[in-house]
Amino acid sequence: MTYLSQIYAIVWKDLLLEFRTRERIAAMGAFAVLAGILFNFSMDQTVVRPQDIAAGLIWMTLVFGGLLGIGRTFHLEAQDGAFQGVLTSPAPKDAIYIGKITANFVLLYIVALLVVGIFTLFFGLDLGDHPGMLALALALGSLGFVALGTLFSAVSSSTHMGETLLPILVFPLLVPMIIYGVSATSRLLADRPIADVAGNLRMLGAFAVLAVGAGAVMFRFVVEE
Amino acid sequence: MPSNKLRVGGSAMAVLGVLGILVLHWMVFFWTPTEASMGIIQRIFYIHVPSAWVAFFAFGIVALCGAVYLWLGDERLDHAAASAAEGGMVFTTIVLLTGPLWGRIAWGTYWTWEPRLTLTLLLWFIYLGYFLVRSSTENPERGKRFSAVVGIVGALDIPLIHLSVLWFRSLHPTPVVVKPEGPTLHPDMLLTLAVGLISFTLLFLGVFLQRYTLAVATHLAAVREREARS
Repeated sequence: MTYLSQIYAIVWKDLLLEFRTRERIAAMGAFAVLAGILFNFSMDQTVVRPQDIAAGLIWMTLVFGGLLGIGRTFHLEAQDGAFQGVLTSPAPKDAIYIGKITANFVLLYIVALLVVGIFTLFFGLDLGDHPGMLALALALGSLGFVALGTLFSAVSSSTHMGETLLPILVFPLLVPMIIYGVSATSRLLADRPIADVAGNLRMLGAFAVLAVGAGAVMFRFVVEE
Repeated sequence: MPSNKLRVGGSAMAVLGVLGILVLHWMVFFWTPTEASMGIIQRIFYIHVPSAWVAFFAFGIVALCGAVYLWLGDERLDHAAASAAEGGMVFTTIVLLTGPLWGRIAWGTYWTWEPRLTLTLLLWFIYLGYFLVRSSTENPERGKRFSAVVGIVGALDIPLIHLSVLWFRSLHPTPVVVKPEGPTLHPDMLLTLAVGLISFTLLFLGVFLQRYTLAVATHLAAVREREARS
């Protein structure tokens, strides 16, 4: 099997499993909607305009909700030693990692678009003139998040602290993603020209590349017995 | 035995470091001139800056030893990384305690999202994660590998974190923030700072070597006990 078809096999398996169980996507989706409902009651819309603070809320919902699903990446396979089977397959460890993050990225990106949809629906958010750029910012941010989240999910799921450890490991590392992501989003929501967000998008991209690269190299040391 | 030499060397360095820190305190309290605009509070700078240097220096050792440990699998590198992390966390805590005390007087607030402050706080949490993963695995070998991964990924992310927080601050300029470093440092102040940097580094290296030989000895004792039992 070539490298790409190995990755494809992992992605296909993970997405098929998720499609059949709908466990993680349901948890993340429900979290996103419910967080939107709670945000509605947690801010006085006569004092702050949702449009002004939406960028921060969108990214925080994505991070908290995403962690719910990403933290359980290896949960299903941990049962009955199924992950051992994946590891003993001829696929190199970094192919397994790339496959895992691709599947997680698809799930998280669906949630990201859902979150934006919820905010548009609940708070009458105006997405500005460049919704495509907004989608790109969310995609780059999600990729970086998924890359770190999946790596440390493999770490935390092998400890007895489990998923409670994940935020402690991942949150300090997510600061660049939050800063550049929120900044790009708030500028796009405020209808600023694309030139104003180009720098943010480049940094989000750099963060994603660094996270994927580090994860692909480190993953083998995490899953080795 | 080489570890004996290391222990003696470590003790010597630690003693020198403590003596240096005593001299440093004398210099800070009685000798070095008072800074013109910030007044007496600026003297905490001579404790604060050397601790910060040691905190980041230690993290460099953690990441470097962690990376080579993953590569070569030599136990001693893991002992070194973990020992450096323990020392590093202590000095990071000193930075986080002395910084706000100074900030309260100089900036008028205990905490501000100044880039270096933010980075140090995040570094503290990366160290915390390092120890939490280490202690929460059933198989200690995995704990060692996990903590090495945390150290390496943390070290890779730190420049990006620093860049982003710097950039974030330029977005929201905070009112009248006095920069800790003046345009030029008085030669007496520079000498005090140099004494601080050298003593703190010596103390850290001394404690680090002591901790390292202790880790090696504990490991050997565990191995012997296992052999005796089997």
